[in-house]
Amino acid sequence: MNYYTGKEEGLVLCTECHTIHQFIPDVLMHCNRCGAELNQRKPNSLARTWALLLSSMILFIPANMLDIMNVTYFGQDDPSTIMGGVIVLIQLGSYPVAFVVFVASILVPLFKMFGILMILLSLKYHIDLTDKQRIKMFRVIDFIGRWSMLDIFVISILAALVNISGVAVITAGAGATAFSVVVVLTILAANSFDTRLLWDYKKLRS
Amino acid sequence: MLCAECDLLIQNKIIEEGSYLKCPRCGHVLYKQKYNTIIKSLALSITALICFYPAVTEPIMSLSMGGKEQHQNIIEGALVLLKEEHYIVAVLTFMCSLLIPLFRLLLLFYVTLSLSVNYFSPHLFWTFRLYHYMEEWGMLDVYMLGVIVSVVKLSSMAEIQFGFGFWMYAMLLICSIMANNELNHHEVWDRLLAKKKAFQ
Repeated sequence: MNYYTGKEEGLVLCTECHTIHQFIPDVLMHCNRCGAELNQRKPNSLARTWALLLSSMILFIPANMLDIMNVTYFGQDDPSTIMGGVIVLIQLGSYPVAFVVFVASILVPLFKMFGILMILLSLKYHIDLTDKQRIKMFRVIDFIGRWSMLDIFVISILAALVNISGVAVITAGAGATAFSVVVVLTILAANSFDTRLLWDYKKLRS
Repeated sequence: MLCAECDLLIQNKIIEEGSYLKCPRCGHVLYKQKYNTIIKSLALSITALICFYPAVTEPIMSLSMGGKEQHQNIIEGALVLLKEEHYIVAVLTFMCSLLIPLFRLLLLFYVTLSLSVNYFSPHLFWTFRLYHYMEEWGMLDVYMLGVIVSVVKLSSMAEIQFGFGFWMYAMLLICSIMANNELNHHEVWDRLLAKKKAFQ
């Protein structure tokens, strides 16, 4: 079946209110209905995604190496990293919660970063992945992204709640900052990627 | 019609009430044929806004340990992090768990109320766009899971009790998710455009 895209037909879709406009090249267009900026493809989508992805990957190292939380229990310090927190939960015997935290704070960010990396590399080096695989992967990445904030919220709840001096005090560590920045950067990376490029690149090759 | 995810050109089709139109190439849901969603969203957003105040000011949970008791609400959570000078974490927590959800509810309330009472202002367009932009950053649901995980983490050290704020937060979460899912964005845009033409 022969497909035509809006770009080939000289049309542009307002991604906010779904109106279709005639595209005028080299002019900054705004939607006459809702006022949003109109672009046939998100500007510099690939470069922005690469930049955000690489910075999140770099920050992922300190996020996992530094302590995210410090528990002082009867005067004894017990700092823990992200993985340490999961291990504590396993030792407590609460396997479902340990699993949820492990998935949200380790698997999801890793999966996200490698997923976006794979999509970008497959576009760059023409690795064969079907469009269906790519778009499915991207939708999963887009959906799960926010859930990595889980550990950050847990820390902020614990730090506020467990604050009984002399008995137990929980404070956040430097790793928490790094980790929250990783989460924000990966969400921004997914947002700056334009899914329509997946199909453009396929047409270019064939 | 153009697909927002793969830019495929598709002929306009009329579909039955209550059904979806999916893009044949990438499977993106193009259009939902669902009307009268605005008044339902308005009702849900009012309920959610009523729940907001107790959800934020009442304690989410209380903890007793070594004969001492401690309460906590959402605002204190962010304030403690500020005091510890974890500014990024504090601001992010405060924004995602409180400020953005509140702001989104207010925007939704404003748009749906204006459409229901036949009021028009050009500001409605950017208001509704902003509502859509912030969708990803309102993280009420993630925060809720965070509360549950914290309870399990602490259960070995101390005794935990859910406060009134917890139940209000749960109500708020349910109402705001329903208000968001109920709303048909296409219907809002269509109605806004019709109003704009009528008032010109």
